[in-house]
Amino acid sequence: MQQTQLIRSSTFLWALAVAGSFALFVVALFAFIYWKLDAYLVARSDRMITTQIHFVAELPPARRVSAIADHLAQDSRGVQYAGLFDAAGKRLAGNIDRLPRELGLDGAAQGVQLDLLEKPTAHGPVVRVVGSRLEDGDVLVMGRNVDETREISSVVGQALALGLLPAFSLCLLAGAWLSLRAQRRVEEVNQRVQRIVAGELRERLPEGGTDDPFARLARIVNGMLDEMETMINALAGVGNDIAHDLRTPLTRVRLALERGRTHAATLEQLQDVADKAIAGIDQSLAIVTALLRLTEIENNRRMAGFGDVALGEILREVCDVYDPIAEDKHVGLGVVTECNVQVWGDRDLLFEAVANLVDNAIKFTPSGGRVDLALQAEDETALVRVSDTGPGISEQEREAVLRRFYRSDKMRNTPGVGLGLSLVAAIVKLHGFRLIIGPAPGGRIEILAWTGSAGRPIARRSRALLHAEAGQMG
Amino acid sequence: MTRILLIEDDTETAEAILAELGDRGFEVQWAGNGVEGLARARASSPDAMIVDRMLPGVDGLTVIEVLRKEQVRTPVLVLSALGAVNDRVRGLRMGGDDYLTKPFALIELVARIEALLRRPSDSRETILHVGPLELDLIERTARRGERRLDLLPREFRLLEYMMRRSDQLLTRAMLLEEVWNYKFVPATTNLIDVHMGRLRHKVDGSGETQLIHNVRGSGFVLRSR
Repeated sequence: MQQTQLIRSSTFLWALAVAGSFALFVVALFAFIYWKLDAYLVARSDRMITTQIHFVAELPPARRVSAIADHLAQDSRGVQYAGLFDAAGKRLAGNIDRLPRELGLDGAAQGVQLDLLEKPTAHGPVVRVVGSRLEDGDVLVMGRNVDETREISSVVGQALALGLLPAFSLCLLAGAWLSLRAQRRVEEVNQRVQRIVAGELRERLPEGGTDDPFARLARIVNGMLDEMETMINALAGVGNDIAHDLRTPLTRVRLALERGRTHAATLEQLQDVADKAIAGIDQSLAIVTALLRLTEIENNRRMAGFGDVALGEILREVCDVYDPIAEDKHVGLGVVTECNVQVWGDRDLLFEAVANLVDNAIKFTPSGGRVDLALQAEDETALVRVSDTGPGISEQEREAVLRRFYRSDKMRNTPGVGLGLSLVAAIVKLHGFRLIIGPAPGGRIEILAWTGSAGRPIARRSRALLHAEAGQMG
Repeated sequence: MTRILLIEDDTETAEAILAELGDRGFEVQWAGNGVEGLARARASSPDAMIVDRMLPGVDGLTVIEVLRKEQVRTPVLVLSALGAVNDRVRGLRMGGDDYLTKPFALIELVARIEALLRRPSDSRETILHVGPLELDLIERTARRGERRLDLLPREFRLLEYMMRRSDQLLTRAMLLEEVWNYKFVPATTNLIDVHMGRLRHKVDGSGETQLIHNVRGSGFVLRSR
């Protein structure tokens, strides 16, 4: 199994292909060299024997026999052949036994099988021969052994064996090693991922010290895992918060019902108990509704409801709705919109966000104070500011207020679900805007919106923002 | 007698609705699934329908769609556990006239059914009359008898809505949706009460008969008498 996997792995197959083509190339190269060398040697032999036959033919007939003998005597390696035959084909001199029948006597070199006087080897050597009929009718034959090419070919073969085979095996080995290494890393990653899937959220992929693509990929995945862990932990925290916050009203309901069941004597008393129970259940439902709304906004990636929204109009409308509330609480409520700015967004959601901010501001501003709404515009940005004369949000609380259900201790007795600011944060995030919480004393929350064409591509969920949010959530 | 068809698969919910509507003098038929509901709607042509969105077999929205294609214009109140804005928009687009998210208060259901049954008559009227109240929609003036009422624009809008639906119970949720065009529940729960208090202060002067009534725990009524 392991072996077939190894052979099938693409790394190994690539190595095999490279090694194969390398071998083919080298063999072709050697073949070319051999062929060229052979041709060169033959041509050289041909020139040599042609020169020699001219030399001997030019000699007076009487000296030819001794010249041939001399010539053969000088050849210590035994690669030269010569023969002088009379017109009848009878040998007069030289080491060639018989005149080869197929030899043309026109002075051109030919490859011919020679019958020699002494037969040193089993097979007749490959010989280049040139023959010439002399003017006295004799036939002169000169030849040269070109068996050297065979030696060359054996040398070439040895070179191939010595060079090519190790190279080829090395290639294969490297391929096998690389693919094994990749497989091992994949297997390791797989095991870690399985652990993560099984719920071990702390697990990370091995990054290694190197900077190879694998390590880089691991780093990227680890970055993603970091973010997901933060998010999952935040969600788990939310689950706890929901449970705790739902418990309070439900406990009240339970106590009221339990006491009412045993103690209510009259119909009015029972109705009173029922009213209390309904109020408690309504409060629980309000929490559930607000949560669902938050999830709805956070999950809403579609920009179906988006269009051009006049921020000034929204501010004036919110002011209009909350004016009587503020008046009842003796809190001044004012709005300053110095310009008419349009942003790309969902009108209803932006209204909800601003309404939530104003709602909060009025709630936490003591009687006699002020809440002010302002809209400012600059180049590509618009700033919606809701400021009040209340206690504001302290440095330590700044991140916590965006968490779901967070209510600072001093607000514990204030009615509300505690989801208001997280809702605002979710809406702001959906639009790609920024939520800025100003320093205490005095509450100041700003929404920084992008106007003009810069605001259109909402996909600007920059990493910096994401990290900031993760930090706030954690 | 007003006849209402309820299509709802949950028996307990259906029984509670049946009992409440029965107490209020409606004649209610009940169908437990979409196919039966469709058959009953065709056979008995009720005055209004309450349709649960999630039904076994044929779902509620399909029932409404089929009926609307058959030119049945019976007002329909859609009940649903899906409360997201998109779900709501879809429910209304498929032919529902109003949308109520579960869980709901029975009084809210009754108020909405009554509102559906008594749709504001002629919206081309330019002067509305309810008891001693008179509202001129063109001049943007309001008077009670001889006394001129000095109303802010939002108060004018609220009074207009109430005068078109006089003697009907208007719940806070209805007012939020219809008058303030709210798509969400505001954090300040008494938002409507404060606005209504302002309006009532102007409409019902001292010594005059009270016209705007607070129905405890549910909403408001503008009484013509």
